[in-house]
Amino acid sequence: MPLVNNKVGDDCTASGDKALADGKALVDSLIKVVACYRHLASCVGGCTDSLQLRDELRQTREKAQNLAGDICHHLTSHLRDKSLPDGQRKEMELLWVAFSSCLELLHVDMCKVLNISGIVSLADSASLVHTGLEGGCSDVAARALSLPDLNQAQTDSLPSGLESQERSTMELEISQIDRMIDDMEMKVNVLRWMVEPHGPQYADPLSSTDSVSMAVQSIDEEQQAPTSQPLCQRSHIFVLLLLVGVFFVAATLSLCIFFFS
Amino acid sequence: MTIRNALRDHGQRYRPRMACLKKAEKVLLEMQDPCTGVKSQPQRLVITIIPHAITGEDIIAWLADRFQIDAQEARSFGSMLVALGYIYPLQDHKRLVIKPDASLYRFQTPYFWPTQQWPVEDTDYAIYLAKRNIRKKGILELHEQEQYNHLHKWMNHKWDFVVMQAKEQYRAAKERKKPDRVVFDCQERAYWVVHRPPPGTVSAMDYGLDRRTDPNTDETQTPDYYERIMIFTQQSIMRPRVKSSVSIGALVKYSATYSGHDPFLSKCLPSNPWLTDDTTYWTLNMSNVEIPTKMRVERWTFSFKELLSDPRGRDDFRLFLKKEFSGENLAFWEGCEDLKWGTAVAMREKAEQIYKTFLARGAPRWINIDGKTMEITVKGLKHPHRYVLDAAQTHIYMLMKKDSYGRYLKSPVFKETLKKAICPEEHKFNEVQLEQNARNRRPSLSPIIIRQQEQEQRAKMAANAPVDITQLCRFTTPVPHLAVYTGIPDPPSVTASPSLPFLAHTPVCPSPISVALDSTSASERRMEASDGEGNTEVRAPEGGNLSKSRMALSLRRLLKRGCSPSTMFASLSPKCHTAATTSSRIQPITPDEASQAPPRRIGNFFQIKVDIPPECRIYPIESEDEDEENRPASRDAVGTEEIICPWESLTRQNGTG
Repeated sequence: MPLVNNKVGDDCTASGDKALADGKALVDSLIKVVACYRHLASCVGGCTDSLQLRDELRQTREKAQNLAGDICHHLTSHLRDKSLPDGQRKEMELLWVAFSSCLELLHVDMCKVLNISGIVSLADSASLVHTGLEGGCSDVAARALSLPDLNQAQTDSLPSGLESQERSTMELEISQIDRMIDDMEMKVNVLRWMVEPHGPQYADPLSSTDSVSMAVQSIDEEQQAPTSQPLCQRSHIFVLLLLVGVFFVAATLSLCIFFFS
Repeated sequence: MTIRNALRDHGQRYRPRMACLKKAEKVLLEMQDPCTGVKSQPQRLVITIIPHAITGEDIIAWLADRFQIDAQEARSFGSMLVALGYIYPLQDHKRLVIKPDASLYRFQTPYFWPTQQWPVEDTDYAIYLAKRNIRKKGILELHEQEQYNHLHKWMNHKWDFVVMQAKEQYRAAKERKKPDRVVFDCQERAYWVVHRPPPGTVSAMDYGLDRRTDPNTDETQTPDYYERIMIFTQQSIMRPRVKSSVSIGALVKYSATYSGHDPFLSKCLPSNPWLTDDTTYWTLNMSNVEIPTKMRVERWTFSFKELLSDPRGRDDFRLFLKKEFSGENLAFWEGCEDLKWGTAVAMREKAEQIYKTFLARGAPRWINIDGKTMEITVKGLKHPHRYVLDAAQTHIYMLMKKDSYGRYLKSPVFKETLKKAICPEEHKFNEVQLEQNARNRRPSLSPIIIRQQEQEQRAKMAANAPVDITQLCRFTTPVPHLAVYTGIPDPPSVTASPSLPFLAHTPVCPSPISVALDSTSASERRMEASDGEGNTEVRAPEGGNLSKSRMALSLRRLLKRGCSPSTMFASLSPKCHTAATTSSRIQPITPDEASQAPPRRIGNFFQIKVDIPPECRIYPIESEDEDEENRPASRDAVGTEEIICPWESLTRQNGTG
């Protein structure tokens, strides 16, 4: 994104808004990638750990790092621009805070993956912990990489030097992220306590509550309430259908009256 | 590699090494081995089947087999693994224990294993709680709700990020297959039960204080590092050595004596509160309890130190000493302890007080220590510090230990206490009762309140304290309202009376003579009635009522009469008057008209020649001859007893006089 230097109000705000929107999109995608990375990382060392998983992890990591680099440039350049209007600056700072938190999460996850791969080695398949997982996480990886489908080439044998190579690359990447965070702190001074968020305190429940999965999960818990939940929703749908049916009947009746009167 | 902390403080923020984690990981990797580990079975839920569930009894059997331990220990070990978070229960997920029945558990994924290097982040917790709220609104428990609100307040700047990340994680989870989603949810929930336990539960991840240095970094080999190693080895060489037969013998003896009293090695009657959540044991063993338990009384017989360190034992001992009229030893010892452990501000006053009460000549509760110790102590008192009374305290401690302690153990007081001591029955709780106990846990009295109670008690004891009749010579008559105390409440201020509260009632001390002349008969009656244990409250107001003018008047009368102090003393009832006199002198700051002490030669009660300059009037008792000589020579014919602190005498001589 080019530095915005002109003092013309409209242009400035327009391009500033665009910059803001761009930044927001980038940060959103980084958040998504980090969330997916976390899911992938939680499978490491378990019985579903495989070369494929490591590959997916690597790809997700790369994507995350690319995104992070982009956002870093974008936000740093905009926040160092003194002529940025106040409202936009606030927004930028919000994005900045979100970005730094993302980076921290990514850093944690990467360190943990490195640590686990040291404890539980892929080569010794008997030592992979039986955690109860069965399926792979390729769908999650696909979501992270924004690809409709992930076509993985299955490698059966484990090349001998792969693990150590992987470790060294991971260490490099972790130190890279470290440096990025350091640079960020040095270059831009964002007062975190001044940043005010927009969103609500509670995230709204997402609309598609999967009644079946909820039933499955709630049986694990001791509380007795959950079994009523799917029924409730079924009753809601039923009532809705009924009303719609009544509405249609009323509409046809009125049409009949209109035509035959 | 460390996790970045935006605060970058340099204080104590490193977690100490938890060696148990590495060991637990090894055990867990063995346990989950499909061939040699615990055998797993599938868990059947409504629609799905999730593999790799293990039963509690299988875990315990495997542990007992692998480590060759008995079932009880295997169970504790298993519970520890669950409490640390390596295995999580599938039913009853909040209670982190292993049940030796068919209840199901599962291994935790390595991502959620506890680590020493990285603390559990609050951001993650906030995201987790937000995710749970997304799944079903209002599902958060009360403590989780409170935490959520708290985090919202102080992590407010990140809150948009938290909510967004929660949503993204939720959506990413939807991409997985249903059984995997369930498993992941269970894993995450178990992780947070371990690391953010509900209030009232004990967390196995409690590691105490943070360290200042990072235990994961290697220490650089600077010259300073080597210097420290050298100093350490030098000191190790210089340490005094004991023959191993001696030291081992002592250890064996200690273990044999105390093994029955150790709550871990043997039964704790009625029940160990940490295991059964029943606090009877603590209430029965509180410090101010009337009737102690048999075990406690038995401990007092082990050594004198045990007796003194137990407050109830000390009370008993005090009672015994009161009956033997040697309570001043214990009081002195306690005063010294108070000096040693008290605040630095109050040290000077406390040292003065102790000197005046116990050590000085004519002190009301004079303790019997040898001349050398006395000399060292008083010399040290010129520049009082915390340990100035150490020598005297040790002497008195040894005296009590060798003499009084033996008699105490044979005394009727002790026998009475032993007879009355209770032996509580052992509790036998079943599972239901244990759970009920866990639910009914309440916090105990706050330490602030306990300290206040102790102080009140001390003040009360000081107020009602007994007065010892040790020596009834004219020099050491007891002082009723300089009553003894077993601890000094914080002195109100330097300028006020440094001693006990009720001395404030007597800001102007009457002359002993006036008191004597006016109320001799009354005091004599009082003396007979009290029989050595004065109710000081009665006397103090008596003294305090007399006015200053009366004192002046009577003093003039005395001077006119020119009576010798010795005869004066003879006529006076010994109790009040010296008290009044001494009390008038006790307040070093307030000037007193008639209180100029005549310079005296140093006497030596024990007939030991000591080289001390004449300014130091330190010895408590002068020989009577010297006293007679000095008295006519004294300018003030009052010549009353005066307890002078050595440091004061110096200033007095220089300044006033």
